[in-house]
Amino acid sequence: MTLTREEIRQRLEKVFQDVFDNDKIKLFETMTAEDLKEWDSLMHISLVVAVEKEFHVRLNAAEVGQLENVGAMLDLLARKNT
Amino acid sequence: MPPETKDKLATVKTLIAENRAEEAWSALKACVKPDDDFSLQHRYFKLFSKMPCERLGLLPVRVAFLASSTVDHFIEAFQFWMAVEGYSAQIFNNPFNTLEQTAADPGSALYAFKPDFIWIFTGYRDLDLAVRSGGSEALVREKIQENVERFTRLWQSIRQNSSAIILQNNADAPLVRPFGNLDGQAPWGCTNLYRQFNVALGMAADAGVVVLDIDHLSSEYGKARWCDERYWYHSKHAFALDASGFAAHQAACTIRACKGQAKKALVLDLDNTLWGGIIGDDGLDGLRLGHGTEGEAYVDFQRYVLALKNRGVILAICSKNEEENARLPFLKHPDMRIKLDDVAVFQANWDNKADNIREIARILNIGLDALVFVDDNPAERELIRQVLPMVAVPEMPQDPAEYIRALDCKKYFEMTAFSAEDAGRSTMYRENAQRAILQRQATNLDDYLQALNMQAISHTFDDFHLPRIAQLINKSNQFHLTTTRYSEAQIREIMKNPEYVCRYFKLKDRFGDNGLICVLILKKKDARILTVDTWVMSCRVLTRGMEEFVHNEIVKIARDLGLLMVEGCYLPTQKNGLVKTLYQKLDYELAEETATLSRWTLAISDDAVLRKTFIKPVSAY
Repeated sequence: MTLTREEIRQRLEKVFQDVFDNDKIKLFETMTAEDLKEWDSLMHISLVVAVEKEFHVRLNAAEVGQLENVGAMLDLLARKNT
Repeated sequence: MPPETKDKLATVKTLIAENRAEEAWSALKACVKPDDDFSLQHRYFKLFSKMPCERLGLLPVRVAFLASSTVDHFIEAFQFWMAVEGYSAQIFNNPFNTLEQTAADPGSALYAFKPDFIWIFTGYRDLDLAVRSGGSEALVREKIQENVERFTRLWQSIRQNSSAIILQNNADAPLVRPFGNLDGQAPWGCTNLYRQFNVALGMAADAGVVVLDIDHLSSEYGKARWCDERYWYHSKHAFALDASGFAAHQAACTIRACKGQAKKALVLDLDNTLWGGIIGDDGLDGLRLGHGTEGEAYVDFQRYVLALKNRGVILAICSKNEEENARLPFLKHPDMRIKLDDVAVFQANWDNKADNIREIARILNIGLDALVFVDDNPAERELIRQVLPMVAVPEMPQDPAEYIRALDCKKYFEMTAFSAEDAGRSTMYRENAQRAILQRQATNLDDYLQALNMQAISHTFDDFHLPRIAQLINKSNQFHLTTTRYSEAQIREIMKNPEYVCRYFKLKDRFGDNGLICVLILKKKDARILTVDTWVMSCRVLTRGMEEFVHNEIVKIARDLGLLMVEGCYLPTQKNGLVKTLYQKLDYELAEETATLSRWTLAISDDAVLRKTFIKPVSAY
């Protein structure tokens, strides 16, 4: 079953909330690490691992580094889910 | 995440919010497993870090990482599992891949951190094991040697600047093999090179270096899962992030063993734990033990338990049974592997198991937190978890075929060295249990001590006993007046130094040999005073007059040296309250007292300072 972009966004938001342990986080397309204080390179790894688990995808080494903003994450997950 | 885990973690979060830290911590510990994935480990750490650490009763341990890969994520899991094992880990993480430079620099931040442990966190990628295919055995040996020497040099360099225990990863032999199966056959094969390196590294590790067998760890976890090259290329993570908790748990258990706080005794139920069936109902012939599917599994479980006993784990029985029935299989069943002589304390009665376990700890004179309780009955397990939360109670599977693994994977009984003392320890505890029973029968203490027929040897240090001497100094916490810690190398220096006098003591009685149970290091302070630098004693010989015997020996040594006074210090720690009043009891005078030290002196001209003991000094026994 293919997920809509909005469904992906909602689930991704939950992942962010879990990883950063903050239920108030709301995602938007242009959001980057700049917009979230705790989103540093270490947390990025934790985030990517959690994303892999949630969406049952396996990112390749290069993709891990390319997910620098929420829009790119959504694009990638939409692609991987079709 | 499974919904039940989610609920449990939500409960933990609520408890933290309600400022019920102790309950939150118990609840969290009850739902975590080392094998849980990285995202879960991350959440555990987050929850743990919200708790007020000082309320969890954790002992501080300082650990410095010297790593050749990114360990920041691993460190979270490590801090969490250290806490589960009872430690608050303070961490220093050196910028990665500066191992040699950092170790060689006495002014480095590493040494300023004053670590208790320095963890050289390396892996197979750190080795240069390229040997020409078909290369000679001599070439292989040379290559292995070169690689091992890189690490022995690193250890030496650390030793010059720090007395920390060194944790050294061995090589996690990689998954892929250019020659395939042949790599595990030919001496120059890739798999075999790592194997040979690991053997050589283990042999090169002397006291104070603990090799962490990450090759085993990666196999136990599953090499295919352990290796995740993507995160190596992306961010230099040496192994899969999901393996963090698993590796952290092993490391925390190893550190606990280094601190002398591994579990000491295994308390076992009988019916459906050591054999299938119920001896009181099914009778000797009705037990499933020895043949049949279950019967073989129970025999193997007994073999595993015996292997633990033979390396020093004390065995106790705790069973709801008529004592006579409970003993019957030990005496009569041909397939029993565990014999009565293997068991230090045998409690078979109808009292509740919590009381029986308390009694076992009392007879053995060890803490409840040194016990592991194995019972097939979930109700008994739950009772002990509730009433005696300090006792470790592994969840046991339904199937006896899985008993061994259920117990083994908990890593309760890790050890970092094995001495002759360890091999004989369970015998010693059994003898001690007999002493405790004699003591209850004797009408007064003097009669009891007299009846023990004790003999003691006092001897200067020698190479043969050095490992045990170092073990006693470094592992004892309770009867240790100054909590000095000396490596074997440092003890050798002390032995050569004419300012010092060293003695070890062995004690024997009618029930058996207690072995080397006391170590004394004395120092000539000046022309008049002999100072007790180190006085450490095994708690299993307490209150038998050994304190007085050692005291007399100190006085004699001081007199032989022509000195006039003995001086001893007590440096309080959380664990050595036992000896707070030792010098006072021996009639020393308090010369100085601060929060961190009390200093006691005793003039020795008068024979009245010598104490009566029932221990006969002998030169050999």
